[in-house]
Parts: sequence; structure tokens; C-alpha cells
Amino acid sequence: MDAARQRDMLIGVANPLRIAGISRPAEVPFTFNGKILHAPSGEAVASALLAAGIRRLGEGPDPTRPRAALCMMGVCQQCLVRVDGRLAQSCLVPVRTGLVVTSA
Amino acid sequence: MSFDIAVLGAGPAGMAAATQAAQRGARVVLLEESPAPGGQVYRSPPTGFVIPADADSREGDALRAALMQSGAEVRTGCRVWGVGGGPLVPQGEASTPFRLDALGADGVPFDVTARALVLCTGTHERIIAFPGWTLPGVLGLAAATILLKAQGVLPGQRVVVAGAGPLLFAVGAKLLKAGAEVAAVVDLATRGEWLRALPALAARPDLLARGAAWRAALTLAGVPVLNGHRVLAAEGEAVLRAVRVVRLDGTDAQAIEADALCIGHGLVPATEATRAFRAAHRYAAEEGGWVPVLDGDRRTSIDLLYAAGDGSGVRGAAAAPASGRLAALAALHDLGMLDATAHNAARAIPAREFTRAARVGSAMARMMALRPALVTVVAPETIICRCEGTTRAQIDAALDDGATDMNQVKQYTRCGMGPCQGRLCGETAAEIVAARVGGREKAGFATGRLPLRPVPMEALLGDFDYADIPVPAPAPI
Repeated sequence: MDAARQRDMLIGVANPLRIAGISRPAEVPFTFNGKILHAPSGEAVASALLAAGIRRLGEGPDPTRPRAALCMMGVCQQCLVRVDGRLAQSCLVPVRTGLVVTSA
Repeated sequence: MSFDIAVLGAGPAGMAAATQAAQRGARVVLLEESPAPGGQVYRSPPTGFVIPADADSREGDALRAALMQSGAEVRTGCRVWGVGGGPLVPQGEASTPFRLDALGADGVPFDVTARALVLCTGTHERIIAFPGWTLPGVLGLAAATILLKAQGVLPGQRVVVAGAGPLLFAVGAKLLKAGAEVAAVVDLATRGEWLRALPALAARPDLLARGAAWRAALTLAGVPVLNGHRVLAAEGEAVLRAVRVVRLDGTDAQAIEADALCIGHGLVPATEATRAFRAAHRYAAEEGGWVPVLDGDRRTSIDLLYAAGDGSGVRGAAAAPASGRLAALAALHDLGMLDATAHNAARAIPAREFTRAARVGSAMARMMALRPALVTVVAPETIICRCEGTTRAQIDAALDDGATDMNQVKQYTRCGMGPCQGRLCGETAAEIVAARVGGREKAGFATGRLPLRPVPMEALLGDFDYADIPVPAPAPI
């Protein structure tokens, strides 16, 4: 077993929300509201945040309507965040090294 | 770029339509929003992810492989925000080729034109509003399948699965297999409704067996399946902590601890594009809602405009490829690229396949049809439109003030005017309006408007700058 795969399997064990038995690309760092997180390259930002235990993505327009992933397919616009300063649907943006994600 | 046929949406219907048309020599372009073809049921994981194969992924892979060999030009990751051409020309002028405006995967705007357009735009999920549905941790059933199948991430560790239709059991079983605890399956349908649906499933024993396996897995794991129940509320402070459920007759309320609620009340055909073209529509609850009026070969009321797959009436992924092929063959025939004899011979097999698969699909779509009783119980303070924060009380007030259809309710309250363009609130709002004005036909639907998807202003403007604004010369004094 090569080192990368071994690492991937370790990641799967380490995170209770990442399903085991799936081989994933190596994890890369990105930030959410200044906090450094790691996720497999290519995973949707919304999934990466969910796996990191972050479900409330922002406070949204008022306290009754926080930002959160709902449809995961780019329809509902509820998971809006800022990626490198621009409004984006976190369910459609793949994680890349160095993405700067902030609440919208 | 100019093509014979443009196909919008690369789900099972779109992939099959593009493949069929390209194999028969047409110049075809297929546009898709996701990074890869597949649609939602056959959605493929991101590059570099290897997820163990199942029946769905094998069917999806077969459609993808045929598409890639067909010669169709496939453009993925592009957001189609504009449709035009065809009948959308100044009054009295002849129709023109169809035009699609899109934002490319690279962020660069582009457009394509085509003589014929096949719309395979799929569905979005219906979630009837309930207290707490804005809490983080509440997701759609379809969202759960995407997380499980294409992302390899669990929506939560202890999950309640709720709503209607076969997706309930698909998601429940997949959650178990992926290692989550399923706290309960909360099914609107009674056991009797499922039993009555069984005979139709006999047309596709493979699908029946898959459904039976899902249910068996849940039973084996001791997951409570609450038939004839609905979700009363999602509860928690910052995020979901518990789901309160109740029997449909209002008895036996109970709270179930969970960190995720996956809920869906059926699928709604995405008809933004056919509405924008002002094609004729009809309301068919048992097909998911408003659908374009079609002939047996998927022709809409607009010349050279076709619709296939669930976006033209929910019939399920198994029926979608055949309907896509029928649309492609009709387009080829109408463009003069396939003569009547060849068309008749070629359409026989997909027509038969569609009829058989649609029998199962129809039975399942009926299970997922909107249940008006679910809307009747929505409380005044419940948020219906999440984008604009419109509550039921505000919609009721608009109706009291004289609003008579969906467009007016939208204008009075801003319900459906936010960035999701009514895709999330439209069903609940329309049912509230329908109950007051006498049916969904009278309530109508919000007029289809561009952009079909939110796009940055710069994509619309292109290199048009402030200095380019034509300023007429001032009139002489």
C-alpha cells in the first residue's frame, strides 16, 4: 500500500463523517473564517465544512435564516459563502489548496 | 458556435439524447452545470475519488461511456443562465435558431446556437415548509444521496429520514451501509398506499428487488419505520438537536434526537426553460406539478423544442434515457436528418422501453405527489420563502388584500423573488394560493424569467463599459 493511500485511509478513520472504504485525493489546507481546515482536494466546500463539524455556515439575513447546506445541487442558494471574497454556493465549489472561505 | 441540436442537462435523459443524436450524425452540444455528466441519480464523484460501484453507478457509467464515444460536444461545469431565440423574437418575425447563454467552467461567458433544443433539466426537491426547517442539519433527501454517493460524507451521525417516496428507503439503507445510525424513517405514506403501488412495480422486477432490499436492510437493523407520520418541527438552538414527529391524525407526538434530518416531499420538474419559451403547460400532480404539454415524441408546443426526462414529468431515472432518445429522434426527423420510415423504425424500441419503465415511475411519482394536507397545517409564523423571509401569514395577508395568483403573491410579498427564484418556496406558496383561489391551474406559476441561475453582473455585461452607454446628443435649445 502506498503512502498516499495509507494516509487517505487514516483520514477516513479519523473523521466519523467521512465514509470509510472510499479512496480520496490527498487532503489540502483551506481556511474558513480564518480557521485552517483540511479536506480532500475536489470535495465540495459544503461537504468539507460538514465533515469538519461546521453546519451553521453563517448568520444569513436574519437569525431565523442562517446559512446552511440544504439541496447540495446548486438550486437553493442557502449555503452561500464567500470564496476568495466572492459570493459562491459552497455545494458547487471544490476544495483547493489555499481557498479562503468566509461566512456570507 | 452553431449546432444542429443543443441538449440542456446531462442527466440520464440528456446523456441518452445527445448520444443518440450524435451517433446519427448530428452536430450536438450538451451543456451541464455539474463538473461531470450524470445528473443526480447517476452523479459521479469528483476527480480522484473512487467510490465502490453499485447498480446506479454502473448504469451511469454505461451512459457516460456511450456519450463520450458518440462525438457529441460535452461542456460541463457551465451555468446556463439565458435561453433565447426560437419563438422569442420580435412580433411578426420568423423564429430563429435557439440560443443558450452560459458561464463556462473557467468563468468565461459563452453562447451556443442550435436549430433544435432538447431540454433535460431534471427536477428539484419539494420540501414543504415546517417549523425549524431553516435549522442547519436539515437537508433534502436528494442532498443526502449526493453526499452519500458523490461526496462520501455522512449528513450526520444519527439521522432521521422523513418525507415521501422511494428515496426515503434508498437514503435510509445507504446511510446504514455508510455507517450512520438511522434514528427513524418517517413516511407520510401508509402501509396500504405502498401495497397498492406494488402491482405497478412488477413491470420492472429489478427495481422492485432493489426497493425490497432497502426495506430489508432497515428492518434488519431495527430501524423504526413510522408509516403515516409527518415531521411536526425541527428543534435546536444553533443547529438541529431533535426532530418532533406526529401521526397524520395528530396523535402520538414524539421527539427523536438527531443531528441530521433528511427530508423530501417529492420531486418537482424544473420547467424554468419551457416557461421562459412560453410553451404550453398543464398541471399534473401525479407527474410532480406543472409540466410542458408534449406529444408522444417529446415535442413541446414550440417548434423544434423538446423536453425529456423527469424535467418534463417525473417518471424516474429508469425511464429517462428512453425519453431522451425519443426526443433526439424526433428532433432529427423534424430537422430533415432522419426520414419518416427510419424515424418510425428507430422510435419503436425507446417508445416501448419508456412505456414499461414509466409504469413503475408513475407509481413512484404518485407516492411523491404533493399532499395538500401537509400545506394546510403550515402555521402562520412559518417561513415559506427562505430567500426573502416571507411567512405564511404574509402570503395569507396578500390573498386577503386581493392577490389572485402566484405572480401577484410574488409582487405583493417578494415570495419567490430571491436568488433561488422560487424553486424552494414555490410549491408551498402555490398550494396556499390554490387552496384560496380554487386550484393550482388558477393559482398558475411565476412567469419564467432570466437569468435562470444567478450569475455575476460582469458575465451579463461582458466588456460593455460605462463609456459604452449610448448618450444621445442634447437637443438644441
